[in-house]
Amino acid sequence: MTIFLQLVASGVAVGMIYAAIAFGYQLTFATSKTLNFGQGEALALGALFGLTLAPFTGYWLMIPLVLVFGFALGAVVECLGVRPAVKIKSEYGWIMATIALGIIFRNLAENIWGRDDLKFPSPLPEEALQLGGIRMLPMELLIIAGALLMMLAVEIFNRKSIWGKAVIATSNDIDAAGLMGINTKRVITLSYSISAMTAAFAGVLVAPVTLTGATMGAVLALKAFAVAIIGGLESGLGVIVGGLILGVAETLTGFYISTGYKDVPGLILLLVVLSIRPVGLFGKAVIKKV
Amino acid sequence: MRLTTRAFVGALLGATALATLGALPSQAADPIKIGVTGPYTGGSSAMGVSMRDGARLAAAEINKAGGVLGRQIQLVERDDEAKNEVGAQVAQELISKEKVVATLGFVNTGVALAAQRFYQEAEIPVFNNVATGTIITNQFKAPDYDSNYVFRNSAYDVLQAGMMVDEAVAQGHKKIAILADSTNYGQLGREDIEKYLGAKGVKPVVVEKFNIKDVDMTAQLLKAQQAGADVILAYGIGPELAQIANGMAKLGWKVPMITSWPASMQSFIDIAGANGNGVVMPQTFIEDKTLPKRKAFLEEYYKTYGVTKIPTPVAGAQGYDSVFLIAAAIKQAGSTDGPKIREALENLKEKVEGVVTTYDKPFTAADHNAISRNMVVFGKVQDGKIVYAKDADAKNAGVVRVKEKSSN
Repeated sequence: MTIFLQLVASGVAVGMIYAAIAFGYQLTFATSKTLNFGQGEALALGALFGLTLAPFTGYWLMIPLVLVFGFALGAVVECLGVRPAVKIKSEYGWIMATIALGIIFRNLAENIWGRDDLKFPSPLPEEALQLGGIRMLPMELLIIAGALLMMLAVEIFNRKSIWGKAVIATSNDIDAAGLMGINTKRVITLSYSISAMTAAFAGVLVAPVTLTGATMGAVLALKAFAVAIIGGLESGLGVIVGGLILGVAETLTGFYISTGYKDVPGLILLLVVLSIRPVGLFGKAVIKKV
Repeated sequence: MRLTTRAFVGALLGATALATLGALPSQAADPIKIGVTGPYTGGSSAMGVSMRDGARLAAAEINKAGGVLGRQIQLVERDDEAKNEVGAQVAQELISKEKVVATLGFVNTGVALAAQRFYQEAEIPVFNNVATGTIITNQFKAPDYDSNYVFRNSAYDVLQAGMMVDEAVAQGHKKIAILADSTNYGQLGREDIEKYLGAKGVKPVVVEKFNIKDVDMTAQLLKAQQAGADVILAYGIGPELAQIANGMAKLGWKVPMITSWPASMQSFIDIAGANGNGVVMPQTFIEDKTLPKRKAFLEEYYKTYGVTKIPTPVAGAQGYDSVFLIAAAIKQAGSTDGPKIREALENLKEKVEGVVTTYDKPFTAADHNAISRNMVVFGKVQDGKIVYAKDADAKNAGVVRVKEKSSN
């Protein structure tokens, strides 16, 4: 039983890493029906930027600076990659553009920080905590708490602030929102900024546990994408549930079946969800009127 | 297909012959070009850069002493990015455009296998100084090929796997867990370990896989723990080996860890931190200043590159030695003709003093591996440095371990 709980605990920690990254996909999809495929690179840039700042500012003071960096990065991506494609009503232009920007960012990071995996100094003790037979790193608990807090903050922003309400209005009906005098273009920019900000934050959050480097986001962002599909691209709650399902499925399969097949159940789940409920477990089914 | 390959080889040979003829009149002044291929960027760059920097020192030293055959050595460095296809491109460029007389390098087994056939076809010696895949020197072995142009001065996998198993058994461990990464390197190493264990009649209690960039090793480690493993044999490279060490610390489970040589990479030391202490791995070279040659090499390396430690000592030392071996062969051959250099390598008359060992007839026609098992020692991670794992080895550090005759 302890073994099972330990596996679940580790799976939850990994799952929350996926969820924190997947959350960013959901934000931009809600407003503009587009995604930033360079989300993994935003994560890596955030982590590397934080790694450079940390010696001067310490871990906690570095976080607000990384948030500002992520915010600006998102605006750049939207401005260069998404807006031109949306303007000419290109259905797929933004896909290529965000992927291309991601590659550019990765090469940039490789030139600045090199291509080695680096150690991100942990702000918390690296001794595992004993919680009733289960052992977890303090940093893993911080990831879970930090990711939940981040999602909560974004939800509160969306529900309470005037800008957030504009975001929700835009995601409900972009044309109607535009007619009501909401500057939907700026709302979309804002959603990209917040999305990249959450990715950058997720970067510094997970970096002490994963490895830090220009390519750290590649595998994680792909898993997070699967999580976003499983959970539903329009639901914050879905992302959390999707992340937990995938994370726990990986560790359980690794232990009870084989570590060689660790990634298989997640992919099977992805296929099943896509064939039975294409909008995701928590997605809203919408009828597209043509 | 056969025809086109032959045509290609013919064209290549023709080009080489023409180039040699064309170069003849001005030969005395021309430098001798030696290719250096390795990953200078990417995940294995720590190994590639150490190898290249070691080779540069050796070339500078030889040139200062007047070069070879009265000509200077010029290293032509190319980044293969640890990618098979890039490695193959680099090989073709070095052969047909740069017209190198020999190439050294290769950190990644896959790249070596993809690229060295071009050298074999062009009859240019190619020298593996870091890559360890057992198959590398067997790719063009007799009787399928008349002559083999692939040489190596690193400790190949079968040798390392055997050492790891013997060490585990010698420490009195009965229940062995094997963890290997899912790349060619890890899986070939795992096969070698299992084969060696099988020959000893021992069955590992668990055999598990992990992927490059895996974040969490809980499942693998819990399986090993549940099976009652009392030692872990891990085959992988720096970052993931470090994640295993960190994962064990997280689970509060501590058994000895014996790994393949890349645990001496700087990334392992950095990422594992204190959790890496006590991990042992086969090494051909440990940073100690016991011999004058080693002392001079280390001091020169630290001074030239402004470091206090070679990022990957084994790669640096083997890179350095490989240049001397090739230079000695060119000198003996008295020419830069590929087949003649190969023949010279297979029958080196001069003893070549390197930093790993003093090479006394390191190769024969049948044996293209310079390193034999008695020349490899166990290194141990201790507070950010690699030291001798065994007191006996540390005490004998000043004794040059020479190759046992016909031991490979």
